[in-house]
Amino acid sequence: MMMKKNTLGSGLLLLLIAGAVGYGVGLGLDAAVLKTARPNLAGSIPSAFTLLFAFTAFFFGIYGYRGITRGLVWQVLGTIIGALFVTGIRAAMGLNLTSRFLFTEPAWVFGALTGVVSFLFGVGVMDDWMKWARGIDTPEHHEDMPGWEKYFYVSLDHKVIGVQYTVTALFLIAVGGTFALIFRAELAASGFQFLLADPTKFNVFNQTGPQLYNTLMSLHGMIMIVSILLGVSGIINYVVPLVIGAHDMAFPRLNAFAYWIAVPAAVLLLMALILGGFDTGWTGYPPLSSRAPLGVQMFFLGVFTAGWSSILGALNVIATVLRMRAKGMTAMRMPIFVWASIATSIIALTATQLIGLSFQLVMFQRLFGMGFFDPAKGGNPVLFQHMFWFYSHPAVYVFVLPGLGVVSELLPVFVRKPLFGYRWIAMSSLGIALVGFVVWAHHMFTSGMNEYLRVPFMYSTMLVAVPTGVKFFSWVATIWGGKIETPTPMLFVLGAIVVFLLGGVTGPPNAMVALDLHLHDTYWIVGHFHDTIFGGFVFPFFAAIYYWYPKAVGRKMNEFWGKVHFWLMTPSFLILTFGMMYIGLRGMRRRIADYDPALGFDNVHLLLTICAFGIAISVLIFFINFFYSMTKGEVATGNVWNSRSPEWQVPSPMPAHNYEVPFEVVGEPYDYGLPGSKYVEFSANGTGKERHLIGEERLHDA
Amino acid sequence: MTHKHEKSFMLGQGVFIFVYLAVLTALEFGIALTFNSTMILVAVALVKAALVAYYYMHIYKLNAEHEGDENSYEYKSSTNRLGLWLFLVSDSFVFGGLMVMRINLLGLSHPDLSQLLGLVVTSILLISSFFMNRGETLIQNGDRKGFIVNTVITFLLGLGFLLGVVFVEWPNAIHEGIGPGSGPAGAAFFMMTGMHAFHVFTGLILLLIVMNNARRGLYDVKHYPVEAAAVYWHFVDVVWIFFYPALYLVGTVFG
Repeated sequence: MMMKKNTLGSGLLLLLIAGAVGYGVGLGLDAAVLKTARPNLAGSIPSAFTLLFAFTAFFFGIYGYRGITRGLVWQVLGTIIGALFVTGIRAAMGLNLTSRFLFTEPAWVFGALTGVVSFLFGVGVMDDWMKWARGIDTPEHHEDMPGWEKYFYVSLDHKVIGVQYTVTALFLIAVGGTFALIFRAELAASGFQFLLADPTKFNVFNQTGPQLYNTLMSLHGMIMIVSILLGVSGIINYVVPLVIGAHDMAFPRLNAFAYWIAVPAAVLLLMALILGGFDTGWTGYPPLSSRAPLGVQMFFLGVFTAGWSSILGALNVIATVLRMRAKGMTAMRMPIFVWASIATSIIALTATQLIGLSFQLVMFQRLFGMGFFDPAKGGNPVLFQHMFWFYSHPAVYVFVLPGLGVVSELLPVFVRKPLFGYRWIAMSSLGIALVGFVVWAHHMFTSGMNEYLRVPFMYSTMLVAVPTGVKFFSWVATIWGGKIETPTPMLFVLGAIVVFLLGGVTGPPNAMVALDLHLHDTYWIVGHFHDTIFGGFVFPFFAAIYYWYPKAVGRKMNEFWGKVHFWLMTPSFLILTFGMMYIGLRGMRRRIADYDPALGFDNVHLLLTICAFGIAISVLIFFINFFYSMTKGEVATGNVWNSRSPEWQVPSPMPAHNYEVPFEVVGEPYDYGLPGSKYVEFSANGTGKERHLIGEERLHDA
Repeated sequence: MTHKHEKSFMLGQGVFIFVYLAVLTALEFGIALTFNSTMILVAVALVKAALVAYYYMHIYKLNAEHEGDENSYEYKSSTNRLGLWLFLVSDSFVFGGLMVMRINLLGLSHPDLSQLLGLVVTSILLISSFFMNRGETLIQNGDRKGFIVNTVITFLLGLGFLLGVVFVEWPNAIHEGIGPGSGPAGAAFFMMTGMHAFHVFTGLILLLIVMNNARRGLYDVKHYPVEAAAVYWHFVDVVWIFFYPALYLVGTVFG
């Protein structure tokens, strides 16, 4: 994973050169095709070409024309060819050929689709399938390149794919976080600071300041959601086959496909920023989204594409867990994290289709005038909200269930006690997932849906608190009387419990119809869901990275800087969300670029902005630690955390096809501290000879 | 059970199921024209779907015990079968969403479309499922030539369905004033038939692939890919089993 300095250097050099070339091409096209009088220096077209050219050239510089670079080149070419194709058809039909975004909207949409398909062919993830379709057999496994190079290429190894997912998720977290910092800075005081409303003073990507604010705010939401989905997939991909003793996922090629389709999706989401943006928020409600600028189409397509990553990944997880568990691993002896992954995957497999469909319908409404959500044509805008929330509420359980699984998984390791109420925790994950399917309309109490729906959805929503409460009860009982150690992963686990508790107790008030009418669309809601997502995903995600990093790399992340990361992020975050809820209760509306100074929120907003930057600095520390520790971290090849889980009983990093000797499950997974208890037993060919009694609890622990 | 006995049993079963399906389709058409009970139409569609899922798509195979270790072809095929069914579950949420959209916008009414045309394309798709099942049974019994003949017939019928919907039914609907942009009936009709036609199109590609590979003798022993293509083809048929009454039969004429 190490990068030679000169490759990184040539990547950055090419990034600059290609960026400049792309900028020039874009300006030239702007002038030649659109005949603008004055060159639009921060316009959409020069920026789009700069982004695409620079991004591609960067990977070309560090990696050459293969793997991801080839995919990106093909995506750029595919987009242009697709757009030209539609433009040609329009020319034949005598329709207009250009818009202020160079191509017309149908041309961009078709081009974006062909771009995604071209990426998949270019990167090579379709190669084996195309061979199979032509009747050519391929070997079951492909050897990966040594070192870091395999991470930029199609690999079928679930561990490589897990790392690819995780690093992509971290990249998108950085992007989405940067957007948040920009609009948080704008909010630091009332009035417009630098996102000015006057188009002659501020015109970036064909957007004025407040428009850009809306775009950044909307994209912060969706880019973070996609990064969470990728982060969840990353941890699941890396961990699940290891802990169930599989040599890989059930469908390695589908696994690679699910990862690689997320990359062009991320490119599309970034294109949404540049091609005029959109002002709908991440929810994309029509009728606003049916009139928003072109960017909303790129946003829809990006989410649609990323959705396939989620769906196919979930399919793979379910099949893997059902078919590839080690001998003796009965349902009630599976690690809790596997239960959480299954619960998550059930939602992702099914409900995701509905957000894809709802966005598709708006796309078709814009392209062909089909009036699904247009009251003037007999459509129903509330229908969109039902379809959208049918996914988007269960989606938050997709985000948090694996995180809560990580908490349950790590807690016993660091308190050296059995997990309290294993069966209840396992079932509570499924319970949350299933109840989650029937709560969606609590997002719509104020949106004009039928009023008789309100009370049933209020009660079903409050029902979610029951299985969630089971988890908290079990965590507290597990910690009770334990020998608590607090290395960095445990700090993040404890942080997750506290923060998720805050998110949990602020939830039921929103479920009450009477209160929700007041709280809807205020900063209270923003504070609430940042608490749930940080507690349910971000803290456990960091815990998981600190915890499994030695397994992937063979080195530990720096403990001191890990603690600095935690102790800077946690207080900043708590002040941030408390402040949000405070001003929300007092009437601060969400999703607005400016607020009335008479509300008296200036000081609080300034504090919130400072805290947001505090979180950003802590995450920056994490990034530096993450990359620095790859080469300079303390070597850790053994059972660093003294865990009973099978993956820690073999030296790190893991070999390509996981366990050289298969293991058999002979006991309960979380009996920490019980003398003589044993979870897994490694045996050569299951003959009982040459047994390695690893994983047996040491007596001094008891 | 001898090989031959099983073959004739399976082929006979295919014929019987096809007759049931044809009778049920005629029945629902008759019900729609006479007393139009939504409950009965839904019940008939559910029975038809269950027949196809059990006898043509062999859903029971998901539950079968398998010999052999994790690296055997049987075990892997079984995992693939599970993966395919999970995909179909996921895909059916798309069609379910479209159905929700249609019920929300149109309620108990249907677009004013040509009943004759609807019955013809429905029959074509149903007959294609029969030949698909026949082809699959034949290749599983080592009859490569019979498989190819039946798959070619399936392909042609599928192509006929696709062309019938896109080049006859669509212009016909537009001519009747039910265009995509004309109102909720047109929007629902074009979206649902369009999504279904896209799936038929992908199914046709899969049929071409298995036909081509069967011609070269790839599936004489390892014939899971044929089963996969067939199950997908029948799934597309199942979707139409619900879409046909939803778009042509249920309730009164919209408008």
